[in-house]
Amino acid sequence: MSKHEIEVTINGRRFAGAVESRVTLSDFLRGEAGYTGVHVGCEHGVCGACTVIVNGKAVRSCLMLAVQVQGAEVTTVEGLAAPDGTLHPAQQALRDEHGLQCGFCTPGVLMTMAAMTAGEQKPDEEALLAALSGHICRCTGYQGIRRAARKLAAGEGA
Amino acid sequence: MKAAPFDYLAPGSIEEACALLAEAGGGASVLAGGQTLMPLLALRMSQPFILVDINNIAALRGVSRIAGGTRIGPATRQCDGLADAVLAEHLPVLVRALSHVGHYQTRNRGTIGGSIALGEPAAEMPATAVALGAVIEITSVRGVRRVEAADFYLGPYMTVLESDELVTGIEYPDWPPGHVILFREVAQRPGDFALVGLVGALVVEGARITRAGLAWFGMGPTPVKMRQAEAAILGQSADALDVNGLAALAIADTAPFDDHHASAEYRRTVGRRMFTRILREALGRQEAA
Amino acid sequence: MNAPGVGAARYIGQRVPRKEDPRLLTGRGQFVDDIVLPGMLHVAFARSPIARGKILSIDTAAARALPGVHAIYTNADLAKIKVEMLSFFLTPGNVSITPLADGHVAYVGDPVALVIADDRYIAEDAAALVDIQYAEEDPVVTISDAMTGAPVHADTDSNIAAMMGVEEPDEELEARLQAAHCLVTHKVTHQRISQSPMETRGVIATREGAEELTLYITCQSPHMIARYVSLALGLPDTSIRVIAKDVGGSFGLKNTPWLEEMSVIVAALLFGRPLKWIEDRVENLTSANQAREQEMILRTAFDANGRLVASHGDYSVNNGAYPQGADCNIAVHMFMWAAYKLPEYAFLSRGWYSNTVGMAAYRGPWAMESLIRETTLDIAARRLGIDTIELRRRNLVTLADQPTATTFGIPLEDITPAECLDKLLETLDVAAFRVEQAEARKQGRYLGLGVAAYVEPTGSAGSISVMTGELAQLRIEPTGKVTATMSTHSQGHGTQTTMAQIIAEKLGVAYEDVTVFEGDSSRGGFSPGAAGSRQGVIAGGATIKASELLAEKVKILAGHLFNAPVENITIENGMVHIAGAEEMTRSLRAIAEIAYGEPTRLPPGFEAGLEAQYRYTPPPMTFTSAAHACIVEVDTDTGFVKIKRWISCEDCGTIINPAVVEGQIAGGLAQGIGTVLLEEMSFDARGNPTAVTYKDYLLPAISDIPDFEYLHACTPSQSVGGIRGVGEGGAIIGPPTLVNAIADALAPFGEIGCDLPLTPVKILSLIEGRDLAAVVAPPPPPVVVVEAPAPPPPPPVTQAAAVIDGSWKMVLSTPMGPQEMTGNFVTSGGQLSGELLSPEGSMGFAGTVDGNRLLFDLKVEKPMKITLKYDITIEGDKLTGKVKMGFFGNAKLTGQRI
Repeated sequence: MSKHEIEVTINGRRFAGAVESRVTLSDFLRGEAGYTGVHVGCEHGVCGACTVIVNGKAVRSCLMLAVQVQGAEVTTVEGLAAPDGTLHPAQQALRDEHGLQCGFCTPGVLMTMAAMTAGEQKPDEEALLAALSGHICRCTGYQGIRRAARKLAAGEGA
Repeated sequence: MKAAPFDYLAPGSIEEACALLAEAGGGASVLAGGQTLMPLLALRMSQPFILVDINNIAALRGVSRIAGGTRIGPATRQCDGLADAVLAEHLPVLVRALSHVGHYQTRNRGTIGGSIALGEPAAEMPATAVALGAVIEITSVRGVRRVEAADFYLGPYMTVLESDELVTGIEYPDWPPGHVILFREVAQRPGDFALVGLVGALVVEGARITRAGLAWFGMGPTPVKMRQAEAAILGQSADALDVNGLAALAIADTAPFDDHHASAEYRRTVGRRMFTRILREALGRQEAA
Repeated sequence: MNAPGVGAARYIGQRVPRKEDPRLLTGRGQFVDDIVLPGMLHVAFARSPIARGKILSIDTAAARALPGVHAIYTNADLAKIKVEMLSFFLTPGNVSITPLADGHVAYVGDPVALVIADDRYIAEDAAALVDIQYAEEDPVVTISDAMTGAPVHADTDSNIAAMMGVEEPDEELEARLQAAHCLVTHKVTHQRISQSPMETRGVIATREGAEELTLYITCQSPHMIARYVSLALGLPDTSIRVIAKDVGGSFGLKNTPWLEEMSVIVAALLFGRPLKWIEDRVENLTSANQAREQEMILRTAFDANGRLVASHGDYSVNNGAYPQGADCNIAVHMFMWAAYKLPEYAFLSRGWYSNTVGMAAYRGPWAMESLIRETTLDIAARRLGIDTIELRRRNLVTLADQPTATTFGIPLEDITPAECLDKLLETLDVAAFRVEQAEARKQGRYLGLGVAAYVEPTGSAGSISVMTGELAQLRIEPTGKVTATMSTHSQGHGTQTTMAQIIAEKLGVAYEDVTVFEGDSSRGGFSPGAAGSRQGVIAGGATIKASELLAEKVKILAGHLFNAPVENITIENGMVHIAGAEEMTRSLRAIAEIAYGEPTRLPPGFEAGLEAQYRYTPPPMTFTSAAHACIVEVDTDTGFVKIKRWISCEDCGTIINPAVVEGQIAGGLAQGIGTVLLEEMSFDARGNPTAVTYKDYLLPAISDIPDFEYLHACTPSQSVGGIRGVGEGGAIIGPPTLVNAIADALAPFGEIGCDLPLTPVKILSLIEGRDLAAVVAPPPPPVVVVEAPAPPPPPPVTQAAAVIDGSWKMVLSTPMGPQEMTGNFVTSGGQLSGELLSPEGSMGFAGTVDGNRLLFDLKVEKPMKITLKYDITIEGDKLTGKVKMGFFGNAKLTGQRI
């Protein structure tokens, strides 16, 4: 099994180290890099809990190898809030709308919301809800997640 | 659910990739978007010794116009295909089908060629390639060959690709401006593989149908080209089609499975209804490209 | 309800933001897999690939030789420490259960060997190398298999795991049923469900001294886990500390540790290093205990006016091999007609062992009662020609009827299902809907309205030894801030929030100044945690009582310090006020500093500090009531159901936090919708699970769940604080509400029945008037537009004695296109052996013969590692069958004798 030196920027901080070829990005982020906010729910790309942002795009971190983020910029849920603790608009919207219960799927939901509303993007409600169909939440019945998405689509959370 | 051990190699060129595949002697898998391969690895259903990552090969990415058609690099990400101006203009049905592939998050990583090369019979991209008459360019150290999409698929996840071969391009012939596009899929949730899906294009000149490309997905061990219905519809008047008769022919080409999600007879029944409805709607409304 | 003189700020009833959210929104939650201990190693299991068989041998040599592997344990190793597997009620089972398989396996996924390795990757590599040989036996899979098949367990005479009720028919009841104006016989088949918490099971066990054990485990109550492990291992519970700060959902699955958790705990005791096992999703879908899988027939008699006459229920539930407590679910019958005026009910209830993974709880474990009753009522209404809502009104117990008692003698004092239904109908215009429905039908669109009502026992305490009260321990710290140490535990329930709301209001402090600690067995006291919609009711009451005690203590001290009568003292927003002496106002901090640090200033006999605790045990049962309605549209092209509207009207008494209450209802409803439309955990005839990933076990997505509308009827309960439980209701009342709506939409086509899930195939079958699930040959291609060749007529089937031995030429239709091969079969009694010859080579196999049916497995390495399961039927010289190819489903096989 091959081992690879990688250098990657995670939440604005440089990480350099060696990873084994078969280690998934999700296991690497949790285990090697210590970002345990990345939650592993199914390891086969259906539940969406492990979603992170790689070079601006929301992806399932269980469906990438760690070695593939060589040179990339990765954002996890730990990198969403401002350094002073101010919540990201997606975090604030989920908080205001009681969009979480156990909180296990939440980081993934947040990363999709954050990726879709990054910069000047204002996705329409339909597109945002369609993207959120890639996340399984077993607790909330999606009521608060949908309300938060509507807020973000309308730009109120910004 | 951890993959069995493998070596990882990320060649920078097609030549290098083909050389690696040849050298591996059947022990390698090609990693494109990974959105289907990675689960198979995690489930240890696939245990290659070597993973050849083609994401660093720039020549495998992008959309270009070629004589009489459009060429898509297989490593073009599905999200990029959705946003591509050339595809929007020339292959609107492909763009429509792309929007149903997986989820937003998997389309950000998954590739058009990966979906085509893998050959999931209920997936959108293989059937779209079959319907539109695409030609798949295959490269190995032994040379380059080109296979009609309709001849590419042998069974579920089984294609004519040899273990040393790589899909290096998918070429879609042009369909004239104004062609009628057909797409519908029935899936239990967004992103699920289709229980029944239909994709195709029709050219109507005057009142007559002069060209037809129609395929099913989720209706057999491979994407199913509706050969009989295609043949029967040619030359017919768009206003006076025997839609029910065509639907019966379309279904006659299928060989759906019973599985955990639906029965073969359900698929045939829904397929027949879907075919008649979509054809009536498309020709009635002339939903043009 | 407010104690006089305390608290100006209202927190109870407010949608305050949750205390749990800041950490969970920023990735700083602490789930079990987030814990890393020094020296920790990782566990994976080698599991049975067959549903039933004897273990002939276990060879661990190759696995042990793998670098990074530390140990491999089998049952023989773990048996050095005695483990008694207990039920949720902490009673021993009636069959022998060991954490790892003891000589035989009883379901696909049964853990046989435990691997300890440097990391999970290596542990899985090694688990795949553990070579276990089995003598496979025919499994008992379904309830009907269990009724007739050989006992699953050597130590029982039959497969009955538990039984209550009467097998012999009650002649008087039978006569009454038969003589009635209308007798509805309704069968409900409820599929098996995976609780599917997003966080799978997991445990870290670390031995910290001869008898000291610390567990990090995802669970429903750390105290319950400590108590269970203490009893199971015979260790003093003082030596066991269980920590579970954040838990990613549970829904009944994580009530007690089970085979894998206990294996890891024992292995950690033996091996001496911290061990971590995190269940992966395939394990979760195959080896974590599951729920439901019930069959019930309810016969219900009505008079000509639609009034209930009598009813009989026959209930069976598949317990699997090792249930988390053998059970026949008496609660189904106890609450079947609790909210309705029914003169007579009798029942038979049986739980059955099978060679499937065991049964555990799932939100509203007795929900079958509401499902079968409420769907029965709609069928009866259609048959009687009475409106479904009117039929309920004629039979529901109203407030005016109470106090009364159910046929089981359960006292009813304040149930309000009829009142909830009335309130619901103020919002739902049924007449307008019926007009819309009729108009839509003219256009070929099928809308349906479903209504259902129910009552639910919540906050049970005192009748079962583990169903205790709750303990609240409160402190005003020397800083003036308030901390509470609770026996509650949240798996998403938000008890840190709701308990803080109560404390803030009852004590008169700011919500922000209250911190609730839970999730550690070394803090607080015993309670079973989240189970039976109990925490709000019981811990709510405990928290109110403890807050009142603590407020009283503050007032006594302040009165002493400022020489004022206690009744003149109030606490508001963390300040202690004395009526008429505002200049004497002091902060709680100032009072607390004195209480803790200046004993000489305290009143005589006053216990230093500001601490109070109360263990509250509520009335034995607190009922919650509800009525729900939903409107659906069924697509008659596809059999798909679209939910267009859903209104909930529940009565959970005093509401602590409406957002939390609505969250509980919504989550339960979403699970109910999954139950009716999507989720299905099934097994093939050999006991292989057919949904082992989330590609096949379909959980509802955001697109499947509509916006819910909520109405709250708030009739205070008899418990302290007036709270009623609300954790399970949505999952109980959701399914019948939705089934009734679908049945209403499809009524023009006939009765849809209730064989869950109501898949598109089943719905379209009703619409089409034929069974689309039945295997039928494709129709011959018709010759309409162009000439198409007619298919050759099928060859006549010749019936002949099944001669199996010999050579057969066979064609397998997939996956590589048609594949030809030659099969050589040799039979000996029920045993089959032989080989398959194909261009790729030959492979030998062994299997079984049953009449003319052959069953055998082939393990193929290429193109991928997969087990091909052959199921062949021989008719004369013809051979037909199918081959199950794991992930890829079935391929058809045909052949003929050479």
